[in-house]
Amino acid sequence: MKQFSALVVGYPNYRGLTSRLLSPQKKETRVTTKISAAAPTAPPKMPTTADKQLLDFALSAELSVHDLYLKAIDSGMLSADEKLMMQMFSEHHKAYAQSLNGLLGKEASNTRNEALFSTYAGQLTSAQAMSRVLQSVENTMVATHTDILSSLQGLDGATLVASIITVEARHAAVFGTLPNLSLSSALSSAASSLAPNAAPAATTTETTVAP
Amino acid sequence: MNDFNNLTRRELLKISGLSIAGITFLAACGAQSGVVESPNVASAGTVPPTTALGQVVISDTVLLRTAASLEYNAIDTYTQVLEGGLLTGDYASLKDAVKRFRDDHISHAAAINALVVGYGGKAHECANTRVSSLYVDPALKLITADGNADAARDVVTLAHALENLAAQTYQGVVALLAEPKLRGSAMRVGQDEARHAVVLAQVLNPGYLAIGPSTDEATGKAKVASVPSTIRSAAGASVGVPPSSIIFKSPNIAVTPYMCASGTNAKRQDHFTAPR
Repeated sequence: MKQFSALVVGYPNYRGLTSRLLSPQKKETRVTTKISAAAPTAPPKMPTTADKQLLDFALSAELSVHDLYLKAIDSGMLSADEKLMMQMFSEHHKAYAQSLNGLLGKEASNTRNEALFSTYAGQLTSAQAMSRVLQSVENTMVATHTDILSSLQGLDGATLVASIITVEARHAAVFGTLPNLSLSSALSSAASSLAPNAAPAATTTETTVAP
Repeated sequence: MNDFNNLTRRELLKISGLSIAGITFLAACGAQSGVVESPNVASAGTVPPTTALGQVVISDTVLLRTAASLEYNAIDTYTQVLEGGLLTGDYASLKDAVKRFRDDHISHAAAINALVVGYGGKAHECANTRVSSLYVDPALKLITADGNADAARDVVTLAHALENLAAQTYQGVVALLAEPKLRGSAMRVGQDEARHAVVLAQVLNPGYLAIGPSTDEATGKAKVASVPSTIRSAAGASVGVPPSSIIFKSPNIAVTPYMCASGTNAKRQDHFTAPR
Protein backbone atom coordinates (compact mmCIF):
# COMPACT_ATOMS: atom_id res chain seq x y z
CA MET A 1 0.00 0.00 0.00
CA LYS A 2 1.82 3.01 -1.30
CA GLN A 3 -0.58 5.44 0.30
CA PHE A 4 -0.31 3.95 3.73
CA SER A 5 3.45 3.96 3.63
CA ALA A 6 3.16 7.70 3.24
CA LEU A 7 1.33 7.69 6.53
CA VAL A 8 4.36 6.49 8.42
CA VAL A 9 6.82 8.79 6.72
CA GLY A 10 4.71 11.92 7.00
CA TYR A 11 5.74 12.47 10.58
CA PRO A 12 9.08 11.47 12.05
CA ASN A 13 8.39 8.46 14.29
CA TYR A 14 4.82 8.50 13.17
CA ARG A 15 4.55 4.73 12.81
CA GLY A 16 1.60 3.17 14.54
CA LEU A 17 -0.91 5.99 14.37
CA THR A 18 -3.88 3.73 14.27
CA SER A 19 -2.60 1.14 16.69
CA ARG A 20 -2.31 3.86 19.28
CA LEU A 21 -6.03 4.28 19.27
CA LEU A 22 -7.66 3.09 22.40
CA SER A 23 -9.58 -0.11 22.23
CA PRO A 24 -13.17 0.65 21.44
CA GLN A 25 -14.74 2.29 24.40
CA LYS A 26 -18.35 3.17 24.49
CA LYS A 27 -18.75 6.80 25.27
CA GLU A 28 -21.78 7.43 27.38
CA THR A 29 -23.70 10.49 26.38
CA ARG A 30 -26.00 11.82 29.02
CA VAL A 31 -28.93 13.98 28.23
CA THR A 32 -31.21 15.78 30.60
CA THR A 33 -34.15 17.66 29.30
CA LYS A 34 -36.71 19.90 30.86
CA ILE A 35 -39.25 21.37 28.52
CA SER A 36 -41.28 24.51 28.74
CA ALA A 37 -44.73 24.62 27.26
CA ALA A 38 -44.19 28.00 25.66
CA ALA A 39 -44.11 28.01 21.88
CA PRO A 40 -40.71 29.05 20.52
CA THR A 41 -40.41 32.44 18.89
CA ALA A 42 -38.15 33.25 15.95
CA PRO A 43 -34.65 34.04 17.19
CA PRO A 44 -33.20 37.50 16.51
CA LYS A 45 -30.53 37.89 13.85
CA MET A 46 -28.24 40.33 15.58
CA PRO A 47 -26.66 39.75 19.00
CA THR A 48 -28.68 40.88 21.99
CA THR A 49 -27.09 42.90 24.77
CA ALA A 50 -26.45 39.72 26.74
CA ASP A 51 -25.03 38.06 23.62
CA LYS A 52 -22.56 40.89 23.17
CA GLN A 53 -21.11 40.33 26.63
CA LEU A 54 -20.58 36.67 25.86
CA LEU A 55 -19.17 37.33 22.41
CA ASP A 56 -16.79 39.91 23.85
CA PHE A 57 -15.60 37.28 26.32
CA ALA A 58 -15.04 34.91 23.41
CA LEU A 59 -13.13 37.64 21.58
CA SER A 60 -10.82 38.26 24.55
CA ALA A 61 -10.20 34.53 24.89
CA GLU A 62 -9.33 34.25 21.19
CA LEU A 63 -6.80 37.06 21.51
CA SER A 64 -5.21 35.24 24.45
CA VAL A 65 -4.91 32.00 22.52
CA HIS A 66 -3.43 33.84 19.56
CA ASP A 67 -0.80 35.32 21.87
CA LEU A 68 -0.09 31.91 23.42
CA TYR A 69 0.68 30.55 19.97
CA LEU A 70 2.94 33.52 19.25
CA LYS A 71 4.81 32.81 22.46
CA ALA A 72 5.27 29.18 21.43
CA ILE A 73 6.39 30.17 17.93
CA ASP A 74 8.92 32.66 19.28
CA SER A 75 10.32 30.21 21.82
CA GLY A 76 12.86 28.73 19.41
CA MET A 77 11.99 25.24 20.66
CA LEU A 78 9.82 24.13 17.76
CA SER A 79 10.82 22.34 14.59
CA ALA A 80 10.14 24.09 11.28
CA ASP A 81 7.08 21.89 10.69
CA GLU A 82 5.69 22.48 14.16
CA LYS A 83 6.26 26.18 13.74
CA LEU A 84 4.36 26.22 10.44
CA MET A 85 1.43 24.40 11.97
CA MET A 86 1.28 26.71 14.97
CA GLN A 87 1.53 29.77 12.76
CA MET A 88 -1.50 28.53 10.87
CA PHE A 89 -3.43 27.91 14.08
CA SER A 90 -2.46 31.30 15.49
CA GLU A 91 -3.72 32.96 12.32
CA HIS A 92 -7.00 31.10 12.71
CA HIS A 93 -7.45 32.47 16.21
CA LYS A 94 -6.64 35.95 14.98
CA ALA A 95 -9.27 35.54 12.26
CA TYR A 96 -11.84 34.48 14.86
CA ALA A 97 -11.02 37.48 17.02
CA GLN A 98 -11.39 39.75 14.01
CA SER A 99 -14.69 38.15 13.05
CA LEU A 100 -16.05 38.57 16.56
CA ASN A 101 -14.79 42.13 16.51
CA GLY A 102 -16.66 42.70 13.27
CA LEU A 103 -19.85 41.41 14.83
CA LEU A 104 -19.49 43.50 17.97
CA GLY A 105 -18.34 46.69 16.30
CA LYS A 106 -17.67 49.53 18.71
CA GLU A 107 -18.66 47.37 21.63
CA ALA A 108 -15.69 45.06 21.21
CA SER A 109 -13.14 45.47 23.99
CA ASN A 110 -10.29 44.02 21.91
CA THR A 111 -8.16 43.15 24.90
CA ARG A 112 -6.86 39.70 25.64
CA ASN A 113 -8.00 37.72 28.65
CA GLU A 114 -4.98 38.03 30.93
CA ALA A 115 -6.10 35.28 33.28
CA LEU A 116 -6.31 32.78 30.44
CA PHE A 117 -3.01 33.87 28.97
CA SER A 118 -1.06 33.76 32.22
CA THR A 119 -2.54 30.39 33.23
CA TYR A 120 -1.01 28.69 30.21
CA ALA A 121 1.93 30.89 29.20
CA GLY A 122 4.16 29.59 31.97
CA GLN A 123 3.54 26.00 30.93
CA LEU A 124 5.04 26.36 27.44
CA THR A 125 8.39 25.02 28.56
CA SER A 126 9.27 22.50 25.83
CA ALA A 127 8.07 21.44 22.39
CA GLN A 128 6.21 18.47 23.87
CA ALA A 129 4.70 20.59 26.63
CA MET A 130 3.58 23.12 24.04
CA SER A 131 1.66 20.49 22.09
CA ARG A 132 0.03 19.19 25.25
CA VAL A 133 -0.77 22.63 26.67
CA LEU A 134 -2.03 24.10 23.42
CA GLN A 135 -4.23 21.05 22.87
CA SER A 136 -5.66 21.64 26.29
CA VAL A 137 -6.19 25.31 25.42
CA GLU A 138 -8.01 24.34 22.22
CA ASN A 139 -10.22 21.91 24.10
CA THR A 140 -10.96 24.59 26.68
CA MET A 141 -11.90 26.99 23.91
CA VAL A 142 -14.23 24.40 22.38
CA ALA A 143 -15.94 23.87 25.73
CA THR A 144 -16.14 27.61 26.34
CA HIS A 145 -17.57 28.46 22.94
CA THR A 146 -20.06 25.59 23.17
CA ASP A 147 -21.20 26.91 26.53
CA ILE A 148 -21.52 30.40 25.09
CA LEU A 149 -23.39 29.06 22.05
CA SER A 150 -25.99 27.49 24.33
CA SER A 151 -26.85 30.96 25.61
CA LEU A 152 -26.65 33.10 22.50
CA GLN A 153 -29.99 34.32 21.21
CA GLY A 154 -28.86 36.02 18.00
CA LEU A 155 -28.30 33.83 14.98
CA ASP A 156 -25.34 35.76 13.57
CA GLY A 157 -23.34 35.24 16.73
CA ALA A 158 -24.47 31.63 17.03
CA THR A 159 -23.43 30.67 13.50
CA LEU A 160 -20.08 32.37 13.88
CA VAL A 161 -19.34 30.68 17.19
CA ALA A 162 -20.45 27.31 15.80
CA SER A 163 -18.01 27.68 12.91
CA ILE A 164 -15.22 28.48 15.36
CA ILE A 165 -16.03 25.42 17.47
CA THR A 166 -15.70 23.11 14.47
CA VAL A 167 -12.22 24.29 13.59
CA GLU A 168 -10.92 24.51 17.14
CA ALA A 169 -12.03 20.93 17.74
CA ARG A 170 -10.00 20.06 14.65
CA HIS A 171 -6.99 21.90 16.07
CA ALA A 172 -7.25 19.90 19.27
CA ALA A 173 -7.58 16.65 17.35
CA VAL A 174 -4.54 17.45 15.21
CA PHE A 175 -2.42 17.73 18.34
CA GLY A 176 -3.65 14.28 19.31
CA THR A 177 -2.36 12.83 16.05
CA LEU A 178 1.14 14.18 16.64
CA PRO A 179 3.74 11.59 17.56
CA ASN A 180 4.31 12.91 21.07
CA LEU A 181 0.68 12.88 22.21
CA SER A 182 -1.88 10.16 22.81
CA LEU A 183 -4.23 9.62 19.90
CA SER A 184 -7.09 9.07 22.31
CA SER A 185 -6.71 12.74 23.23
CA ALA A 186 -7.68 13.58 19.66
CA LEU A 187 -11.11 12.09 20.18
CA SER A 188 -12.02 13.01 23.72
CA SER A 189 -11.94 16.11 25.83
CA ALA A 190 -12.67 16.66 29.47
CA ALA A 191 -12.01 20.39 29.31
CA SER A 192 -14.22 22.76 31.26
CA SER A 193 -15.78 25.94 30.02
CA LEU A 194 -14.39 29.31 31.06
CA ALA A 195 -17.48 31.18 29.96
CA PRO A 196 -18.98 33.60 32.45
CA ASN A 197 -22.47 32.90 33.64
CA ALA A 198 -24.71 33.50 30.70
CA ALA A 199 -27.81 35.61 30.89
CA PRO A 200 -30.87 33.63 31.95
CA ALA A 201 -32.50 31.94 29.01
CA ALA A 202 -35.87 33.17 27.84
CA THR A 203 -37.39 29.72 28.23
CA THR A 204 -37.04 27.13 30.94
CA THR A 205 -35.67 24.55 28.57
CA GLU A 206 -32.59 22.90 29.91
CA THR A 207 -30.66 20.48 27.80
CA THR A 208 -27.30 18.93 28.35
CA VAL A 209 -25.49 16.49 26.13
CA ALA A 210 -22.45 15.59 28.11
CA PRO A 211 -20.01 13.36 26.33
CA MET B 1 -33.94 43.42 -40.59
CA ASN B 2 -36.91 44.09 -38.43
CA ASP B 3 -39.85 45.80 -40.17
CA PHE B 4 -40.57 47.75 -37.00
CA ASN B 5 -37.50 49.81 -37.76
CA ASN B 6 -39.25 51.23 -40.78
CA LEU B 7 -42.47 52.28 -39.03
CA THR B 8 -43.37 55.92 -38.99
CA ARG B 9 -44.48 57.60 -35.79
CA ARG B 10 -48.09 57.67 -37.07
CA GLU B 11 -48.09 53.91 -37.87
CA LEU B 12 -46.66 53.12 -34.45
CA LEU B 13 -49.44 55.04 -32.71
CA LYS B 14 -52.04 53.16 -34.81
CA ILE B 15 -50.63 49.80 -33.74
CA SER B 16 -50.60 50.83 -30.09
CA GLY B 17 -54.19 51.92 -30.32
CA LEU B 18 -55.24 48.61 -31.88
CA SER B 19 -53.42 46.67 -29.16
CA ILE B 20 -55.20 48.54 -26.38
CA ALA B 21 -58.54 48.01 -28.09
CA GLY B 22 -57.84 44.29 -28.47
CA ILE B 23 -56.89 43.84 -24.82
CA THR B 24 -60.02 45.69 -23.73
CA PHE B 25 -62.14 43.44 -25.92
CA LEU B 26 -60.59 40.25 -24.57
CA ALA B 27 -61.07 41.46 -21.00
CA ALA B 28 -64.71 42.09 -21.74
CA CYS B 29 -65.06 38.55 -23.07
CA GLY B 30 -63.84 37.21 -19.73
CA ALA B 31 -65.25 38.53 -16.48
CA GLN B 32 -68.14 40.50 -17.93
CA SER B 33 -69.48 37.85 -20.28
CA GLY B 34 -70.22 35.21 -17.66
CA VAL B 35 -67.22 32.96 -18.25
CA VAL B 36 -66.58 30.90 -15.11
CA GLU B 37 -63.07 31.41 -13.78
CA SER B 38 -61.01 28.28 -13.35
CA PRO B 39 -57.68 27.85 -11.51
CA ASN B 40 -56.68 25.25 -14.08
CA VAL B 41 -54.50 25.85 -17.07
CA ALA B 42 -56.71 25.69 -20.19
CA SER B 43 -56.81 22.13 -21.48
CA ALA B 44 -58.99 19.71 -23.36
CA GLY B 45 -61.14 17.34 -21.31
CA THR B 46 -61.78 17.28 -17.59
CA VAL B 47 -58.95 18.13 -15.25
CA PRO B 48 -59.03 16.07 -12.06
CA PRO B 49 -59.10 18.03 -8.82
CA THR B 50 -55.74 18.59 -7.13
CA THR B 51 -54.86 18.20 -3.49
CA ALA B 52 -52.67 20.86 -1.97
CA LEU B 53 -49.55 19.74 -0.13
CA GLY B 54 -49.92 19.78 3.61
CA GLN B 55 -48.36 22.54 5.66
CA VAL B 56 -45.15 21.22 7.23
CA VAL B 57 -43.55 22.94 10.15
CA ILE B 58 -39.77 22.62 10.19
CA SER B 59 -39.38 22.56 13.91
CA ASP B 60 -36.35 21.93 16.08
CA THR B 61 -37.63 18.38 16.50
CA VAL B 62 -37.62 17.79 12.75
CA LEU B 63 -34.06 19.11 12.54
CA LEU B 64 -32.93 16.88 15.37
CA ARG B 65 -34.61 13.82 13.88
CA THR B 66 -32.77 14.46 10.65
CA ALA B 67 -29.50 14.72 12.54
CA ALA B 68 -30.34 11.40 14.19
CA SER B 69 -30.95 9.89 10.77
CA LEU B 70 -27.46 10.91 9.68
CA GLU B 71 -26.02 9.26 12.78
CA TYR B 72 -27.66 6.04 11.64
CA ASN B 73 -26.13 6.51 8.17
CA ALA B 74 -22.73 6.53 9.84
CA ILE B 75 -23.56 3.60 12.13
CA ASP B 76 -24.81 1.50 9.22
CA THR B 77 -21.83 2.36 7.04
CA TYR B 78 -19.30 1.49 9.72
CA THR B 79 -21.18 -1.73 10.44
CA GLN B 80 -21.04 -2.70 6.76
CA VAL B 81 -17.35 -1.89 6.67
CA LEU B 82 -16.63 -4.04 9.70
CA GLU B 83 -18.91 -6.94 8.84
CA GLY B 84 -17.88 -6.89 5.20
CA GLY B 85 -14.20 -7.11 6.09
CA LEU B 86 -13.51 -4.09 3.92
CA LEU B 87 -10.51 -2.91 5.91
CA THR B 88 -7.72 -5.06 4.62
CA GLY B 89 -3.94 -4.94 4.44
CA ASP B 90 -2.35 -2.10 6.34
CA TYR B 91 -5.77 -0.57 6.86
CA ALA B 92 -6.86 -3.54 8.95
CA SER B 93 -5.28 -1.77 11.91
CA LEU B 94 -8.05 0.80 11.64
CA LYS B 95 -10.69 -1.67 12.81
CA ASP B 96 -10.49 -0.53 16.41
CA ALA B 97 -10.77 3.07 15.33
CA VAL B 98 -13.81 2.31 13.20
CA LYS B 99 -15.44 0.46 16.11
CA ARG B 100 -14.75 3.44 18.31
CA PHE B 101 -16.25 5.82 15.76
CA ARG B 102 -19.32 3.61 15.40
CA ASP B 103 -19.78 3.53 19.15
CA ASP B 104 -19.51 7.30 19.24
CA HIS B 105 -22.23 7.58 16.61
CA ILE B 106 -24.45 5.18 18.54
CA SER B 107 -23.95 7.39 21.55
CA HIS B 108 -24.67 10.53 19.51
CA ALA B 109 -27.85 9.03 18.07
CA ALA B 110 -29.07 8.12 21.53
CA ALA B 111 -28.31 11.62 22.80
CA ILE B 112 -30.03 13.35 19.90
CA ASN B 113 -33.05 11.06 20.13
CA ALA B 114 -33.31 11.78 23.84
CA LEU B 115 -33.57 15.44 22.93
CA VAL B 116 -36.17 14.65 20.27
CA VAL B 117 -38.30 12.76 22.79
CA GLY B 118 -37.74 15.48 25.37
CA TYR B 119 -39.11 18.01 22.92
CA GLY B 120 -42.20 15.95 22.28
CA GLY B 121 -41.09 14.15 19.12
CA LYS B 122 -40.61 10.50 18.24
CA ALA B 123 -37.14 9.04 18.28
CA HIS B 124 -35.73 8.45 14.81
CA GLU B 125 -33.89 5.16 14.70
CA CYS B 126 -32.92 4.50 11.13
CA ALA B 127 -30.70 5.94 8.45
CA ASN B 128 -31.70 8.76 6.13
CA THR B 129 -32.73 6.85 3.03
CA ARG B 130 -32.03 9.73 0.70
CA VAL B 131 -28.44 10.03 1.91
CA SER B 132 -28.11 6.27 1.69
CA SER B 133 -29.46 6.05 -1.84
CA LEU B 134 -27.66 9.11 -3.18
CA TYR B 135 -24.31 8.86 -1.46
CA VAL B 136 -23.55 5.86 0.71
CA ASP B 137 -24.95 2.97 -1.29
CA PRO B 138 -23.45 4.03 -4.65
CA ALA B 139 -20.11 4.66 -2.96
CA LEU B 140 -20.08 1.25 -1.28
CA LYS B 141 -21.07 -0.37 -4.58
CA LEU B 142 -18.10 1.24 -6.30
CA ILE B 143 -15.76 0.36 -3.45
CA THR B 144 -16.74 -3.30 -3.39
CA ALA B 145 -16.75 -3.70 -7.18
CA ASP B 146 -14.44 -6.38 -8.51
CA GLY B 147 -11.01 -5.19 -9.41
CA ASN B 148 -10.85 -2.24 -7.02
CA ALA B 149 -7.32 -2.55 -5.66
CA ASP B 150 -7.75 0.44 -3.36
CA ALA B 151 -10.96 -0.69 -1.68
CA ALA B 152 -9.65 -0.27 1.87
CA ARG B 153 -8.36 3.23 1.22
CA ASP B 154 -11.62 4.11 -0.49
CA VAL B 155 -13.50 2.98 2.61
CA VAL B 156 -11.45 5.40 4.70
CA THR B 157 -12.17 8.14 2.16
CA LEU B 158 -15.89 7.44 2.40
CA ALA B 159 -15.75 7.48 6.20
CA HIS B 160 -13.87 10.79 6.08
CA ALA B 161 -16.54 12.24 3.80
CA LEU B 162 -19.33 11.04 6.07
CA GLU B 163 -17.69 12.49 9.16
CA ASN B 164 -17.22 15.84 7.42
CA LEU B 165 -20.82 15.71 6.26
CA ALA B 166 -22.02 15.10 9.79
CA ALA B 167 -19.79 17.81 11.28
CA GLN B 168 -20.93 20.38 8.74
CA THR B 169 -24.54 19.36 9.14
CA TYR B 170 -24.46 19.97 12.87
CA GLN B 171 -22.76 23.28 12.23
CA GLY B 172 -25.33 24.16 9.57
CA VAL B 173 -28.26 23.22 11.78
CA VAL B 174 -27.20 25.81 14.35
CA ALA B 175 -28.51 28.53 12.04
CA LEU B 176 -31.91 26.82 11.92
CA LEU B 177 -32.52 25.78 15.50
CA ALA B 178 -34.71 28.20 17.41
CA GLU B 179 -33.71 27.03 20.88
CA PRO B 180 -30.21 28.21 21.92
CA LYS B 181 -29.62 25.25 24.23
CA LEU B 182 -30.18 22.90 21.33
CA ARG B 183 -27.57 24.73 19.29
CA GLY B 184 -25.03 23.99 22.00
CA SER B 185 -26.12 20.37 22.12
CA ALA B 186 -25.78 20.08 18.35
CA MET B 187 -22.23 21.38 18.44
CA ARG B 188 -21.27 19.08 21.32
CA VAL B 189 -21.95 16.27 18.91
CA GLY B 190 -20.71 18.11 15.82
CA GLN B 191 -17.27 18.79 17.24
CA ASP B 192 -16.91 15.07 17.93
CA GLU B 193 -17.53 14.36 14.25
CA ALA B 194 -14.90 16.94 13.32
CA ARG B 195 -12.40 15.10 15.52
CA HIS B 196 -13.19 11.83 13.76
CA ALA B 197 -12.65 13.58 10.42
CA VAL B 198 -9.22 14.81 11.51
CA VAL B 199 -8.01 11.32 12.46
CA LEU B 200 -9.23 9.92 9.15
CA ALA B 201 -7.70 12.84 7.24
CA GLN B 202 -4.37 12.08 8.84
CA VAL B 203 -4.65 8.47 7.72
CA LEU B 204 -5.39 9.56 4.16
CA ASN B 205 -2.90 12.40 3.99
CA PRO B 206 -0.51 12.35 6.92
CA GLY B 207 2.07 14.75 8.19
CA TYR B 208 2.41 18.36 9.21
CA LEU B 209 2.15 19.62 5.66
CA ALA B 210 -1.22 17.88 5.28
CA ILE B 211 -2.81 19.70 8.20
CA GLY B 212 -3.76 22.81 6.24
CA PRO B 213 -5.18 23.06 2.74
CA SER B 214 -2.88 21.96 -0.07
CA THR B 215 -3.18 21.08 -3.72
CA ASP B 216 -2.04 18.04 -5.63
CA GLU B 217 0.37 19.49 -8.18
CA ALA B 218 -0.28 16.70 -10.66
CA THR B 219 -4.06 16.90 -10.69
CA GLY B 220 -4.63 20.44 -9.47
CA LYS B 221 -7.20 19.11 -7.01
CA ALA B 222 -7.38 19.89 -3.31
CA LYS B 223 -5.78 17.27 -1.10
CA VAL B 224 -7.42 15.94 2.04
CA ALA B 225 -6.70 18.37 4.88
CA SER B 226 -7.16 17.94 8.61
CA VAL B 227 -8.12 21.60 8.98
CA PRO B 228 -9.49 22.52 5.55
CA SER B 229 -9.97 26.22 6.10
CA THR B 230 -10.11 28.94 8.67
CA ILE B 231 -13.19 31.11 8.46
CA ARG B 232 -15.10 32.72 5.63
CA SER B 233 -16.89 35.75 6.97
CA ALA B 234 -18.05 37.21 10.22
CA ALA B 235 -21.79 36.85 10.37
CA GLY B 236 -23.21 33.62 9.11
CA ALA B 237 -19.74 32.21 8.69
CA SER B 238 -19.15 28.63 7.80
CA VAL B 239 -15.88 26.91 8.40
CA GLY B 240 -14.63 23.62 7.10
CA VAL B 241 -15.43 21.62 4.01
CA PRO B 242 -17.32 23.33 1.18
CA PRO B 243 -20.91 24.19 2.06
CA SER B 244 -22.21 21.98 -0.73
CA SER B 245 -21.85 19.11 1.69
CA ILE B 246 -24.13 20.67 4.25
CA ILE B 247 -27.40 18.83 4.42
CA PHE B 248 -29.27 21.71 5.99
CA LYS B 249 -28.56 24.35 3.42
CA SER B 250 -31.64 26.45 3.90
CA PRO B 251 -35.06 26.29 5.51
CA ASN B 252 -36.50 25.58 2.05
CA ILE B 253 -35.30 21.99 1.98
CA ALA B 254 -38.08 19.56 1.24
CA VAL B 255 -39.54 17.73 4.19
CA THR B 256 -40.76 14.36 3.12
CA PRO B 257 -42.35 11.53 4.98
CA TYR B 258 -40.62 8.27 4.35
CA MET B 259 -40.50 4.75 5.61
CA CYS B 260 -37.62 3.42 7.63
CA ALA B 261 -36.27 0.61 5.54
CA SER B 262 -35.65 -1.56 8.54
CA GLY B 263 -37.95 -4.49 7.85
CA THR B 264 -40.83 -5.09 10.19
CA ASN B 265 -40.05 -2.04 12.24
CA ALA B 266 -40.67 0.19 9.26
CA LYS B 267 -42.54 3.28 10.27
CA ARG B 268 -43.40 6.67 8.89
CA GLN B 269 -40.85 9.34 9.62
CA ASP B 270 -40.82 13.08 9.06
CA HIS B 271 -37.37 14.39 8.38
CA PHE B 272 -35.37 16.55 6.06
CA THR B 273 -33.82 15.11 2.98
CA ALA B 274 -31.05 16.53 0.90
CA PRO B 275 -32.11 19.11 -1.67
CA ARG B 276 -33.29 17.49 -4.84
